[in-house]
Amino acid sequence: MPDATVRAIGLVIALTYASVIGWLYVRQPQSAAEVAGGLSASIGAYHVDPQAIEDGLGFFRRDEFAAARSAFARADPAQEDARTQFYIAYSYYRQGWGRLYPDEALFAQGLEAVNRAIARAPGGRIVVDDTDLQMRSGDELKAELEAGLRRDASDFNPARLLRSRK
Amino acid sequence: MTAAREAIALPLTFLTVALLGGLRISDRVALLPPPLFALVLSVLLLALLVRCGALAPDRLMHPSRSMLANLNGLVVVVAVFLATAQAFNAATPDSGVPRVLVNVVFLLLLANTMAASPDRVRALRSLLVVFGSAFVVKFVVLSALSNPPQGVVTRAIQMLFEGVTLGTVTQDVLHPVSGYVAFFTLMLYLFGLVLLGGHSRARPERELRSGNSQR
Repeated sequence: MPDATVRAIGLVIALTYASVIGWLYVRQPQSAAEVAGGLSASIGAYHVDPQAIEDGLGFFRRDEFAAARSAFARADPAQEDARTQFYIAYSYYRQGWGRLYPDEALFAQGLEAVNRAIARAPGGRIVVDDTDLQMRSGDELKAELEAGLRRDASDFNPARLLRSRK
Repeated sequence: MTAAREAIALPLTFLTVALLGGLRISDRVALLPPPLFALVLSVLLLALLVRCGALAPDRLMHPSRSMLANLNGLVVVVAVFLATAQAFNAATPDSGVPRVLVNVVFLLLLANTMAASPDRVRALRSLLVVFGSAFVVKFVVLSALSNPPQGVVTRAIQMLFEGVTLGTVTQDVLHPVSGYVAFFTLMLYLFGLVLLGGHSRARPERELRSGNSQR
C-alpha cells in the first residue's frame, strides 16, 4: 500500500479516535449503554423505548416513583432523551417533597436529572405537554428543586406548611 | 520510521494512554482530565525527550516532508504531549499530602535528569524508574493504607495512622482493577516512547568530550 494512503488512513483513524476520547471526557458515560446511546444519538439514530415510557408514566401517576424511574431508565438507557430525563427529575421532586423540609439527596438527584434534560433539549428549552403536572417546563422544575436545596430565612416561614406539592 | 508506525501505531498508542490515564474506577467511573501541574510536567518531560533524542520533532515535522506527513507528525507530537500529561495524572495520588509530595518529586527528578543530559536509553530507563516508583507509592503503599482494614489489629493501626497524619495521607478507595489499568497505561506509555525511535544516537556530552580529547 502506498505511503500516502497509509498516512491518510492513519490521520482519519487518529482524528476519529481523538474525537471519541474527547467526547468520552466531556460526557463521562457510566456504562456501555450510555456510550452506545450517546454515539448513536450523535448521528441521530437513538430512540427511546415507547412501551417502557408508558410503563414509567403509569407508575409515575400512581406515585410509585422508584418503579417509574426504573422503567424510565430502561426506556432511555443512555440518558439522551430530554423528556424522559424531565420525568425522572420530576419523580425525584415528588418523592423528595416534604411539607416541612425536602429530602435533599433526592432533590440533588432531581437537579442533576433536570440539568441533563435541559442539556439534551434543543436550545436548552424543554416543555412537556402533560396536564397532570403543575410544572411543565424544565426551568420551573429546576427553580423548584434549587429552592428546595437552598437554606434561607424563608425556611422558617410558617406559611410553608400550607403549600402543596406541585 | 515507517509510515504505518508514524501514522497509525504511535497515535493510537499515545491516544490510548491519554484515554486510560484519566480513568478512575470507584463506585462510579470517572475520566479525569489532566491537572494543570501534569501539563507543566508534560512540557518538561517533552523537553527532556527532545534533548535526549527520544523525540525528534524535526523527523516528524519538516518543510521537506509532504503536508500529509507533517500532519501525521503533528498528531504524534500532540498525542505524546497528552499521553505524558495523563501518564503523570495516572501515577500521581489523587489528593492530600502525597499528591503534593509526588508532584514535587516528579519536578525535581525531571530537573535532575535534564541537568544530567542523559542519552535516549538512559533517559528511558530513568523514566521507567520514575513512573514505576510512583506507581508503587500510589497503588501499593497508599492503597494498602487507605483500603478498609480486615481485622481488629489492622483497623487499630490504621486509625492510629490516620490520627497521627490527621487524615492527610489516606486516599479514596479505588477499585482493584484501577491498579491494573494504571500499570497497563504506564507500560503502554513507555512502550510508545521506545517506539518513537528518535535519533539513532544522541551521545552524552561527557562521552563526546572524552572522544574529542582522545583525538
